[in-house]
Amino acid sequence: MRAFFANKLALIGAAITGFVLLMVIAGPWVSPYSPTDADFLALLTPPSAAHPFGTDSFGRDVLTRILYGARVSLAVSVAGVLVAALLGGTAGLVSAYVGGWSAAVMMRIADLLFSFPSFVLALFLMVVLGFGVANIAASIALIYLPLFARLARNMALVVKEEPWVQAAQLMGQSTFSILSREILPNIAAPLFVQIALGIAFGIVIEAGLSFLGLGVQPPAPSLGTIMADGREYFQRAPWVLTLSGVTISIALLGLNLLSDGIRDVMDPKLRARL
Amino acid sequence: MAAIAIDLAPAARRLGGMVLIAFLGAALVFFVMRAGHGDPALSALGDQATPEAIAAFRKLWGLDAPLIVQFWNWLSGALTGNFGKSMTVAGGVPIATLVGSRLPNTLFIGLYAMAIAVVISLVAGTVSALRHGRMIDSVATGLAVLGISMPDFWLSYVLVYALALGAGIFPSYGFISPAESLSGAFYSGFLPALAVAAPMAAAFTRMLRTALIETLYRDHVRVARSLGYSGAFIFLHYVFRNALIPYVTVIGLQVRYLLGGTVVVERIFGIPGIGALMVDAAFGRDYGLVQACALTFLVCVLIVNFLVDSLCAALNPRAT
Repeated sequence: MRAFFANKLALIGAAITGFVLLMVIAGPWVSPYSPTDADFLALLTPPSAAHPFGTDSFGRDVLTRILYGARVSLAVSVAGVLVAALLGGTAGLVSAYVGGWSAAVMMRIADLLFSFPSFVLALFLMVVLGFGVANIAASIALIYLPLFARLARNMALVVKEEPWVQAAQLMGQSTFSILSREILPNIAAPLFVQIALGIAFGIVIEAGLSFLGLGVQPPAPSLGTIMADGREYFQRAPWVLTLSGVTISIALLGLNLLSDGIRDVMDPKLRARL
Repeated sequence: MAAIAIDLAPAARRLGGMVLIAFLGAALVFFVMRAGHGDPALSALGDQATPEAIAAFRKLWGLDAPLIVQFWNWLSGALTGNFGKSMTVAGGVPIATLVGSRLPNTLFIGLYAMAIAVVISLVAGTVSALRHGRMIDSVATGLAVLGISMPDFWLSYVLVYALALGAGIFPSYGFISPAESLSGAFYSGFLPALAVAAPMAAAFTRMLRTALIETLYRDHVRVARSLGYSGAFIFLHYVFRNALIPYVTVIGLQVRYLLGGTVVVERIFGIPGIGALMVDAAFGRDYGLVQACALTFLVCVLIVNFLVDSLCAALNPRAT
């Protein structure tokens, strides 16, 4: 923990992530504007005191839309990655510890899902499931499922040979108790790093799909739909695209720095040298 | 570099695994699509179609056979380059013709982006590893984190604004295919390739830097140094070669993100590639075309992964 506080970049990452979370959670309550109601008296006004991020082509306050949109983007990404971590992690753990043909089949499926370009898999699933918020989360979950399965399996294969696990086996602990009490705590940290990275990339997937018009459907805000909007009238009102793009970069920067920091702290060998 | 000996048995095993994955991928693409959208006759003709029209349509497209037979027909067709015809996006044009004419553009952008990412990361990774802890290392690391934090579609607009609309160096839209003019393709494809390459370059740089630093402190390097070999010789022969294995592995792992990135960028820059084609097919609900595009992407990734695995095996004979 002390090492974490000594790592400046990790602290900056944690601070940015905390700030983004605070804005996303509290922002919509603070803002006096609606994210979807049009105001035809204030079309495409540049940033001002009343509208710090300006307004868009419907006169909607861009800052309010970004706050609501980031909430949607983040929720979709977090939901998808957590489902993937839970299901994929469990599958990987069980297949490493129990083994057998079912493990082999599961890993083949993981290989298969892992061989599709991530965005192509998302696109394919959006066609099958239909465009919409819940289906984006499902796509993100499916993209990350094989990753968590592999990660959990590879780490569990190493940990299960450790003496304390063998001791637990000799003491007659149940398989469930060994998996949850002996193995899981020892592989949790890398899983957390992957969850943070996954949430960052999940935001990119959501934004990409919505940007193309295949994800969140307008007028509902998400970071992707706001950017797609802003692209339409970029020459006349550059602030919409620019400020929503900067927002997404700040959120990703925070998550990336944070996960880097956690990883450096967990790997003392590397930390000593860098 | 020493002579590279390739043992053929592991290569054959990898090739077998690749074919198996491709087969499973085809099955997934076919059955999931069918499960999600049911009868293609209904989706092509609409809900108001008469039963006679539906029956005629099913007979015409071979949809009256059992599902497994349909899958077999589809797969054997796909193997001979026959994916059927595009139903809605390009009325009646064979899907294979559509995909075939657009695949070279996507491959060109993908390879171009890969080359840009490799060049940037080789320079930046090496410099920041050799000068680690100094100013230039912090700059390179900061740029790398920034690169990872710029999604490709957002970076595309930054590049268009700065280098196309602002400085007027590159075109902001449109693409000259490599078949028409190779230099034109390199010129008009530069911004899209750079947008796809930037996050990759950042990831490669970080990997190479870490691997190089790790190797710099290994015992064999210390011994070589104490024997008085020159710094450049040690770096090339003892450090770089060892760091190359994780570097190449990461390149292989990132190929799926790289090809995924081309989808959005092709739309933004108006490049007629299979990514843009797949998006059109998604909007047009042209399910056969979506299937063919997904399968083509899968096969591209599998081929690259096979090449990367073979390269890794050649670089590190112990691993196999």
